[in-house]
Amino acid sequence: MDIETEKRLALKARQITPPGASLRKMPGGLDIERLYDEHAQSLYAFLLNFTRNEADTRDLLQEMFVKLVREPKLLAGVREERAFLIRLAHNAAIDLMRRRGTRDRTKENFCAEMISPFAPTSDPDETIFRDELVEALGELPEEQRAVVHLKLWGGLTFEEIAAALEIPPNTAASRYRYGLDKLRGLLRPLYEEMKKAE
Amino acid sequence: MMNDETEQFERRLSRQPLRQVPHKWRAEIMRAARDVQPACHASPVTRHSFSTFNHQLSTLLWPHPKAWAGLAAVWIFIFVLNFSMRDKSPVVAEKTSPPSPEVMVELKKQQRMFAELMGVSEPVSDADRQKVLSPKPRSERVEILTV
Repeated sequence: MDIETEKRLALKARQITPPGASLRKMPGGLDIERLYDEHAQSLYAFLLNFTRNEADTRDLLQEMFVKLVREPKLLAGVREERAFLIRLAHNAAIDLMRRRGTRDRTKENFCAEMISPFAPTSDPDETIFRDELVEALGELPEEQRAVVHLKLWGGLTFEEIAAALEIPPNTAASRYRYGLDKLRGLLRPLYEEMKKAE
Repeated sequence: MMNDETEQFERRLSRQPLRQVPHKWRAEIMRAARDVQPACHASPVTRHSFSTFNHQLSTLLWPHPKAWAGLAAVWIFIFVLNFSMRDKSPVVAEKTSPPSPEVMVELKKQQRMFAELMGVSEPVSDADRQKVLSPKPRSERVEILTV
């Protein structure tokens, strides 16, 4: 299914939601639907890049929104909604990884369930590049991968990343630099080849 | 040159479109969120205070869970050590047997000798002994010794 079809279906799903079933404002003035519509996509991509597993990503996303409904005060006084939600997602993902890490440490299991956080494409060159990129991202330590993802695909500044991951901005910048250097090293042969072909 | 290459590479990466969140998730997640709502209405105060405490505790412990666990272990060890040492002292006192008759005779002998040295002929009663041994001004002490 291509992106446009997905978007259309998502829009349709939103339109067909019966008015009575709508949550609208939750206790504490929490507008969970707005939160979902504004942030679910970026949280989904972030979590998917972290877990590489769609079922886990779904569980984490649901867990997050349920938590927000259960504890609406969590969002009270939060200035950077996106950064706060990413922090929540990051902590939840780390918790899951720890639980998972003690249960099944085998890399085979991880690889068998692995799913790309990038959209599928019909271009064979792009497919190869994305596959290599997914693999290269998998080589990065979790903390570098999170920063690289938020900078490149989340469009966050180092200050925002620092606030989201509860680290100093300099640490965020250095993690990004190390991560990017490693990605470039891993993807260099393919990248050079593609550049020549262009 | 190097920076240009890095920027180009960054641009190339950031152009990669991300997978879209499956559209059916929205309804499912919203339903799950709606289901959880009544539970939080049932006892808002208890839940709120407990969850706030829980949240604050997790915020406090989150950054270094191993360090906190280590600290807790050290405290537990100190408490165990403390209790085990406290338990032993009464046992030692209980186990000490009363002095044997030989020891008592020896003590009496020493008392008599001490009384002789102090110039008191008869065995000293406890009250007298206290009087003799109680601190006195230097001049009086000298007097006793000369006598």
